[in-house]
Amino acid sequence: MSCYPTTTTNMRSAAWMALVALSGLCAFTPARAQTADTFKIGIISPMSGPNARYGAFANKGAALAAKEINAAGGVLGKKIELVSGDSQCVPAEGVAATQRMISLEKTAIIIGDVCSSVTLAMQPMVEESKVLLVNAASSNPDITHKAGVGGFKWTFRNYPTDEVRAATVLEYAAKTKGFKKYAVLSVDSDYGRGAIKFTKRYLPKYEGAEILSEDYYKDSETDFRSVLSKIRRSGAQAIILYGQADTTPIIARQMLELGLAGKVALVGNGEFNTKDTIAAAPKVMNGAVEAAAWLPEVPAPRSLKFVDDYQKANGGEMPNNHAYTHYDTLQLIAQAIKSANSLKGEDVRNALAKIRYDSPMGMVTFDDHNQAVLPMVLLEITDGKPAIKGMITTKVDYAVK
Amino acid sequence: MSSFILEQIVNGIITGSVYALVAAGMTMIFGVLRAINFAHGEYYMLGTFAAWWVMSKLMADYGLAIVGGVAIVSLIAVLIGRSVMQRLIGQPFQAGVLATLGLSLILQNVVILAFGGGYKVFSGGWIEPIELGDFGMSQQRVILVVVTLVVFAGLEWMVRSTRLGRSIRAVSQNIECCQVNGIDVEQVVRRTFLIGVAIAALSGILTGPINVSIYGGMGESITLKTFAVIVMGGMGNVRGTLIAGCLLGVVESLVAGFIGLQYRDSVGFVALLLMLMLRPHGLFSSKARF
Repeated sequence: MSCYPTTTTNMRSAAWMALVALSGLCAFTPARAQTADTFKIGIISPMSGPNARYGAFANKGAALAAKEINAAGGVLGKKIELVSGDSQCVPAEGVAATQRMISLEKTAIIIGDVCSSVTLAMQPMVEESKVLLVNAASSNPDITHKAGVGGFKWTFRNYPTDEVRAATVLEYAAKTKGFKKYAVLSVDSDYGRGAIKFTKRYLPKYEGAEILSEDYYKDSETDFRSVLSKIRRSGAQAIILYGQADTTPIIARQMLELGLAGKVALVGNGEFNTKDTIAAAPKVMNGAVEAAAWLPEVPAPRSLKFVDDYQKANGGEMPNNHAYTHYDTLQLIAQAIKSANSLKGEDVRNALAKIRYDSPMGMVTFDDHNQAVLPMVLLEITDGKPAIKGMITTKVDYAVK
Repeated sequence: MSSFILEQIVNGIITGSVYALVAAGMTMIFGVLRAINFAHGEYYMLGTFAAWWVMSKLMADYGLAIVGGVAIVSLIAVLIGRSVMQRLIGQPFQAGVLATLGLSLILQNVVILAFGGGYKVFSGGWIEPIELGDFGMSQQRVILVVVTLVVFAGLEWMVRSTRLGRSIRAVSQNIECCQVNGIDVEQVVRRTFLIGVAIAALSGILTGPINVSIYGGMGESITLKTFAVIVMGGMGNVRGTLIAGCLLGVVESLVAGFIGLQYRDSVGFVALLLMLMLRPHGLFSSKARF
């Protein structure tokens, strides 16, 4: 008997809670709608988890661009308002954040993600919602192989692909440095594995070049001794490393421990050029070869100005390449909006396909796969500092299979 | 070939000693509380951060940071021991799961809030390599193994010969009897927790210079490995934990060296599954507690 009144109370409180929840939702929706004098652009990036560093740089870079654009009058009379979503570098989280952004913030343009695995998962979703996705930091080749004439009409990428990167790094390692024996140690993700897939495709071009071992690490891995012992004994001359920026110092320091410094070189990508990474094990990092989208030492005047402005805005912190590419991509979008003379996603998309954008690094255009043709830097660490060895234009030959 | 296997075994013992150090505290806490401490990896993380903080903000050297780091984390352990852990005595196991999982989330996120979600660089430590033939390792790792042996010897002595050790053994056998005999169970729980946390913090500080990049979520993966170790060693069995930790480290190293780094983490989970299926009391006698 006694349970009867309890049930009513429960039901009543449940009803109350539902009502409160509903009213909360109603109050929420209008507040989040686009206001008349701002234009929202979304940024999806990893803001927590092992890759949070990338998201922090990406957001700060874009914020600087937004500040500059808004100070110059905004786009078509509206101020740019950035809204951020956290992907945690996990595809499921990234898709959920994108979904929230599209349905709640109603953004017509999204910049995202840093991690290739997340970008690949976002592509079908923005396609369905007809939202323009401009990627500024993922390098897996499939992203644009499947875009433009390859399928996805709403994805653009303003970042070099690993296809070109792998070819360039390998050419420099094999021809200039004369390495023949390689060991692979890359991050276990679409980025790390994708870059190695293309490296292997170009490897037969070089007489006698071979890969002796192949290992992939989880992004929270901290113990590389076993695999580095194996590499040392295999007689490899270079480690092909397409890895996470924060793991490079760990690998470098453990290479130092095992006596690999000066004997085995690192080639690939993973922020080899930052001060902290080089400081972690200077003897190991000397001679490391990297192809990067950008680095603070690029001697172009507008690039140097960006470094200066960024440092002023962020308490002296040195920007990384994700800060730059997100800054640059927002500038690119602003120019596309201006030349489209419209804020509609579709018009901006069409303008982007035809754009000739003069970036701080050089001229940027898009090919029929919506992949930017843009300059990239090849560098080698010499005497504890990155030395620029050349600029590469990232034109992809889609016929090569 | 045989020297390669030997090298991997040494690598494994070094890795395993970290697992064993973290697991020692976890298994002792399980002994007295019958609760799995899901937050244990977080104290390892807190240790690293405390030492990093002492070094980068107070400009102290690494030696001082070891002492300072352990002291800071011990202080946190005293607070958490009083406010959370001692209340778990006599509670159903769900309470322990919820309380420690909650603590784990709180500690991780407090660190991320306070210091940011990005990686920090842990500079310092004794990282110069010692070369033995074609075999190299940093001084830091030698220290780590020596400290592990000293800590385990100390624990063994403490558990066997001191009053606290005897009360820990008594509490882990029968709480009611202890209460009847006038043993302050709450105090025993608090002290056990403090010792366990201090050891975890110490292992975090000692691995800092090797791991270099540190961040708030770094404790999670070590907690997962520790589960496998304490199940293999037998829940509550300190000596078994040392052997199980090293065993897990060695097998992981051999897998990473011969099969591939990508399969390394599966070792712990496979071991956990096999243990739960075949020897749920651990590799050693089911009665061997302390």
